[in-house]
Amino acid sequence: MANKNAFLFADETTRFYFPWIFLLMVFIGTLLCGSGLFVYNCLNRWQQGVSESLTIQINTYDDNGVFRAEAVNEDIEKALSIIRTTPGVREANVLDENQMGELMAPWIGADVNLMDLPLPKLIDVAIDPKNPPFLEQLKMDLSIQVPNASLDSHRIWLTQLVKLSHRILQLIGIILILIIFTVVFTVSYTTRASLKIQEPIIRLVHMMGAKDFYITTKYAWRSLKRSLIGGFLGFCCAAPILVALIYCFEGMSDSIFTTGIYMEQWLFLAGYPLLMSFIAFITTFKSVLGYLKRFI
Amino acid sequence: MTPNESISPVIAEFNGVSFRYKIGTDVLKDLHFSLAPGSFHFLTGESGAGKTSLLSLLYMDHLPTKGRVRLFGQTVDSLKRSEKAQIRRQIGVVFQDYRLLNHLNAFDNVALPLRIIGEKESDIRKHVTELLAWVGLEKQMRAYPEELSGGEQQRVAIARAVIHKPSLLLADEPTGNVDDAMAQRLLYLFLELNKLGTTIVVATHNEGLIQKFGFPRLHLHGGQVHLTIPRNSDISKLTKGEKNGQ
Repeated sequence: MANKNAFLFADETTRFYFPWIFLLMVFIGTLLCGSGLFVYNCLNRWQQGVSESLTIQINTYDDNGVFRAEAVNEDIEKALSIIRTTPGVREANVLDENQMGELMAPWIGADVNLMDLPLPKLIDVAIDPKNPPFLEQLKMDLSIQVPNASLDSHRIWLTQLVKLSHRILQLIGIILILIIFTVVFTVSYTTRASLKIQEPIIRLVHMMGAKDFYITTKYAWRSLKRSLIGGFLGFCCAAPILVALIYCFEGMSDSIFTTGIYMEQWLFLAGYPLLMSFIAFITTFKSVLGYLKRFI
Repeated sequence: MTPNESISPVIAEFNGVSFRYKIGTDVLKDLHFSLAPGSFHFLTGESGAGKTSLLSLLYMDHLPTKGRVRLFGQTVDSLKRSEKAQIRRQIGVVFQDYRLLNHLNAFDNVALPLRIIGEKESDIRKHVTELLAWVGLEKQMRAYPEELSGGEQQRVAIARAVIHKPSLLLADEPTGNVDDAMAQRLLYLFLELNKLGTTIVVATHNEGLIQKFGFPRLHLHGGQVHLTIPRNSDISKLTKGEKNGQ
């Protein structure tokens, strides 16, 4: 005896394409979603980092290129006293040579003697992100009392990076929407192709008194089942690639790509094939219901 | 609704019904007739006279282009889709071309109407096995339509049409591909159903069967229907209109 639910579905070629289409769509979608989350996490981390710190540079050479020697230490003391009395500042420390070396290593290498370079002295300032200092006032105080000091809130370079990240996220969003449209179109098209093939059978069961809902749900459940299989496989293919990509990025630099994807975000990603399958279910349901209207 | 529960005064009623396909002239013109519950009619006429069209109006595969068709007391035009489905469940149809599903075996083909109405699988197994045995196909239950002869396919189609004990059975040339003995056997099956209250319309060219069983004849000619009541017909089963010779 055949499967009691199989009567609507004679052999048809669309059954082979359907899971493959979903595998591909979910694979691409998961990679994009995962990349988007990774960028989003990095962006948050960068913004959080900026809101928690400032850097003050004190020039070690004057305008004529002469080393200022002891004047630098005076400037550092003055700057520290201004900063430490500013409301909203938690901590301020001068970076020593080792810290400077680590900071510069990615650009100039680890073996260079920093004393040979005209590098400024840097003061790392930790601020309270909930109650940050008034930066304009701080800048003004520094410019009056320590003319060789300048305040860097990191916002100039970060603004560009944030803009770029936002563009990347927007692009990912657009591609994800396009994927959804593609899924809707593909499901709708394959369903209609299947219905066309099965029309004599549908006409027969319709004539026997099968209600629209009965026929529609049979198709929609089948569509859901196939899309879940394809989606699950697509996710299983994409997840390891995503992990490998994140691992590669984290290996590139230990300062800006260390966030990865959080556990709850992985769960969100796992929901992506479910969302796509749900879209397939609804699209199939609506396509079949629309098609059945041609029968009296 | 089982045949005996039918409360409608007539099973089907045609009032000024005309029908044409998208292209062409009227196949059926201004038909007025009705089918009483428990009646048995032969539907005759030359090829192309409109027998299949008339049957298709009865199972709502088409709607009339003019006039009104009432089934089980309800006007077809005004029915919701779900109500039409409910009415179709009271109708059994034997198609001229059988319309068996080639990917299902004989058992599953016959079980189809019961599965659509949600019958329990255990009941389906029992009823389908009994009926297939009755039409002489107990050994071909697992055979697919392509493995069956024309006559066997026709018997499967008939079994499928009657498995759910319909209130109205419409048969389009149901004996076209079987020998006389089997044709009579199938007609006796229809007769048994008719005795249980099923209204039956059999489109046929088989004059021998018409003469032998002697039921009223709806004859289609020139798009019009003409009722002929044989002398030995059981007049108590005919509608008022038929008694008046309409």
